[in-house]
Amino acid sequence: MQIIEVEGLCKSYGENTILSDFSFKVNEGEVIAVIGPSGSGKSTVLRCLSLLEKIDKGKITVGGKVMVKTSKDGKAEYAPEKELKKIKLRLGMVFQNFNLFPHFTALRNITEAPVHVLGIPYKEAEDTAMELLNKIGLSEKVNSYPCQLSGGESQRVAIARALAMNPDILLFDEPTSALDPELTGEVLKVMRNLAAENMTMVVVTHEMGFARDVADRVIFMEKGKIIEEGSSENIFTNPANERTRAFIRGFYGQE
Amino acid sequence: MLFMEQLIGFFGSKEMDAFIAQWGLLLNGAFVSLQIFVLTLLFSLPLGLFVALGRMSAKKWLSKPLEIYILIMRGTPLLLQIMFIYFAPYYIFGKSYYGRFAAVIIAFSINYAAYFAEIYRGGIESIPHGQYEAASVLGFTKFQAFTRIILPQVIKRIIPAVGNEVITLVKDTALANIIGVSELFRVTKNETNRTATVTAFFYAGIIYLALNWIVTKILNSLEKKFGYYK
Repeated sequence: MQIIEVEGLCKSYGENTILSDFSFKVNEGEVIAVIGPSGSGKSTVLRCLSLLEKIDKGKITVGGKVMVKTSKDGKAEYAPEKELKKIKLRLGMVFQNFNLFPHFTALRNITEAPVHVLGIPYKEAEDTAMELLNKIGLSEKVNSYPCQLSGGESQRVAIARALAMNPDILLFDEPTSALDPELTGEVLKVMRNLAAENMTMVVVTHEMGFARDVADRVIFMEKGKIIEEGSSENIFTNPANERTRAFIRGFYGQE
Repeated sequence: MLFMEQLIGFFGSKEMDAFIAQWGLLLNGAFVSLQIFVLTLLFSLPLGLFVALGRMSAKKWLSKPLEIYILIMRGTPLLLQIMFIYFAPYYIFGKSYYGRFAAVIIAFSINYAAYFAEIYRGGIESIPHGQYEAASVLGFTKFQAFTRIILPQVIKRIIPAVGNEVITLVKDTALANIIGVSELFRVTKNETNRTATVTAFFYAGIIYLALNWIVTKILNSLEKKFGYYK
């Protein structure tokens, strides 16, 4: 079952076209890795999905609900505010720079939104948070502030914070790009576990190992367009497009 | 030994009565200064926040007038502003609507609100954009994001800058003497005239310093209270 459907998405900043006629679909339980050179519009796709950016044209459907569509005059027409908020809450997002709230403990970072956005009783939210912290292996950091956490720990708490809202889909915007190489492993491990639990995930990443091993499908983007898309096996071992080949070869050439 | 004899002789003497009476007057004045100080903070700190938010608004009809308001408040002497607030109604409407003390509180509050507004603005703009994005993605309303996520972080960052203004305010209360409010400085001036000595000025200095010593202590403990995270 399709959980996200994007059709003909256009997004530009002034003269600068970021995404042109971009379409893709995400099935429930699927892990999609989006790869490509920087500036190819990978992150913008996620930012449009999570409503951090408004699109110019196109249609986005999440869980069967239309979030935005092109109106008759050719402009993007968003769903009413209330509806939009409901749709938005089905999506969780993890940022490159974690964006944890520095004045809250790890625990409160996780409980704040469930309590004040979803209206869940605090005790219940706390139990869920403790469970999540346990799952990501950070039970002993409950009362630590973000400044006391390493990058890897911070990102794991950020993932727990997103999970606490019980989203249907998790969006990852280069979740390991701000981490020291030795810390990426612990974050990728948490993501692998989520994939194993059939969490639907869209991961913008430069971690080719993760894309190859975990993703069900890989999308290679360049200059705002999908150049190639297919199973990770096809993309990594037998890419059809010359540019995909060059990009992947470039990566392994560096390593 | 001579000093000890003088000190013992001082007790119960006329000089001691005069000394106590003078300190009584000065402390009364200091109490008025303290009232100006507290009331000004009470009004200007919240007012400054609203001015800052309006000043940062994308709506020109809101931000532009506030920009001019800040320019005037920071660009003219507070002394003139006090006189303007007190005398202007009389000259424009032919009657006064409020007394000297109220005029001082109004003038100080709108003046300090302008300074605080710019400090708030600097603090708000220093918060990384990712904080707003994280709050938005988690579904917080704009109001929730501001009050729960942004403002607490802003307060921590602006304590030193606000502290500067608060300490200046203690000393600025002396300006209220220009329209005859009997605060510490005015009382002190009267005393030096009456006694034909300048010792009262010295005592006033001690009182201002003592007040700011307390204010500094409070500011330090506030900073410590917010120091639990980086």
